[in-house]
Amino acid sequence: MFDIAPDHAIGLYAGLLALPIALMALWLRPARHSVPGTVQAAAVLMTVAGAIHLGLVPSHLGERVTVALFVINGIAYIGLAAAFTWRWWRLASSALLLMTVFGYLGFIALGFDSPDQVALTTKLLELITLGLVLVPVRGEARPRDRAWNWALLGSGLPVLTLVTGAAIWGIGLATPDARHAHVGALLQASNAVATPDQVAAAAQLYAETKGATMAYEDWHHAWAAGYRPGGNTSMPSTHWMNDAYVKAGYVMDPHRPQGLVYANSKHGPVLLGAMFQMPHINQFGPDPGGPLTAWHQHENLCVTPLGLEFSLMTPYAICPIGSIDISVSPMLHVWFFKTSGGPFAVDIDSSVVAAVDRS
Amino acid sequence: MDKQTSRPEAAFVLLLMQSTFWAIAGLSAFPFVLGGEVFEVGLGLASILLAAFAAVLAVGLVKRRRRARRWVMGIEITCLVGSLLLLVLPIGANHGPVSLMTNVGLPLAVVVLLRGKTMRVHFAAPTAAAGV
Repeated sequence: MFDIAPDHAIGLYAGLLALPIALMALWLRPARHSVPGTVQAAAVLMTVAGAIHLGLVPSHLGERVTVALFVINGIAYIGLAAAFTWRWWRLASSALLLMTVFGYLGFIALGFDSPDQVALTTKLLELITLGLVLVPVRGEARPRDRAWNWALLGSGLPVLTLVTGAAIWGIGLATPDARHAHVGALLQASNAVATPDQVAAAAQLYAETKGATMAYEDWHHAWAAGYRPGGNTSMPSTHWMNDAYVKAGYVMDPHRPQGLVYANSKHGPVLLGAMFQMPHINQFGPDPGGPLTAWHQHENLCVTPLGLEFSLMTPYAICPIGSIDISVSPMLHVWFFKTSGGPFAVDIDSSVVAAVDRS
Repeated sequence: MDKQTSRPEAAFVLLLMQSTFWAIAGLSAFPFVLGGEVFEVGLGLASILLAAFAAVLAVGLVKRRRRARRWVMGIEITCLVGSLLLLVLPIGANHGPVSLMTNVGLPLAVVVLLRGKTMRVHFAAPTAAAGV
């Protein structure tokens, strides 16, 4: 959702290229003086959206239905953009924009495509264009039913934006690509199946890490070593971080993991695992176990600068007020309890943590 | 169309979109409260209140309210400065096209639409009779 699919990038370039051409074409048409600026802006944005659709054709030639839809959509957008003085322009434009937005949502819901930045940009353009098409303007040559238009705009556009964003978000999270393990985590690229050497290396790393951190089963030892809870201890589990080890930048040192993960049981903290963390964003660590020990980087998190409260950035790239969007440098967990993803899984199963908490 | 301008209406549409984005961000914070992030309640509510305020300001723009224009300019410039800071700081903030559009392009467009002497004049006259 927050990446640009390689076969979609060309659409973005086509749209950017179309922008100055659309502006120039509009400037050369004297008829533009007969319509409000909102209509002119909508015509330009529709040309850009049309160019994005047409730009995607070459990279989808193998998909006949998709190509046909892109061509029809692109031509319809550009044709309507040119016909902005037409009597039924607003009605036709609104209908086309709505059909395109809903058509896309159906397209990704059926699994024909995955939402990415190019698709989201296009939907955003289309939603803004729809608003510009519908908005009544003072002193128009052809007065419209203003009350209806305001009602449609004031309630319909926010609802459509909400539905589009929620659908794209839901589908994006439900069908992550191979490198996105779970919400907001980008996995390190590696081979698909571990070789025998990688299996052995992963087992060795696990044994060394478990052996070196067993002392921290007693949380007092962890505290003495400089580990501190990095968040709310009323949650099922908490990461304890050692700032000195984080700053020192030790790389996958079993004796100095940057973090420990404790379950917050009623008897006190119970050690669930250890966590290695790299010092810099986009710098994945050594991967001795191949796919078994792939690091992950949390991206597009919304955090409050004064604490570790977090949520996820919306598809429209907005965080709740008071929080900012960040990425966290790559990390690798080593779990000491059996979990479904294996000892180096991105997350430990919540059922495992709950069982420990209850114990 | 000579004496009238549709720039406030265009700004209305953009502000309405921005208001919706803030409302969605506010709503998205609430599920995290269930996971123990209790302060997300405050952030979610603050976002929704800001969204509501932005929607009121958007209506004020259409009604050519001078104060609405001033508030909108203030909010958008603040958003723009914050977004540019996030672009520059090495904290791994998203720099994708959607982020650039919503966090930089949209506030910038609203500022450009509402700035200038012409717009000051349009928002200066009393327009209580002009309904939406």
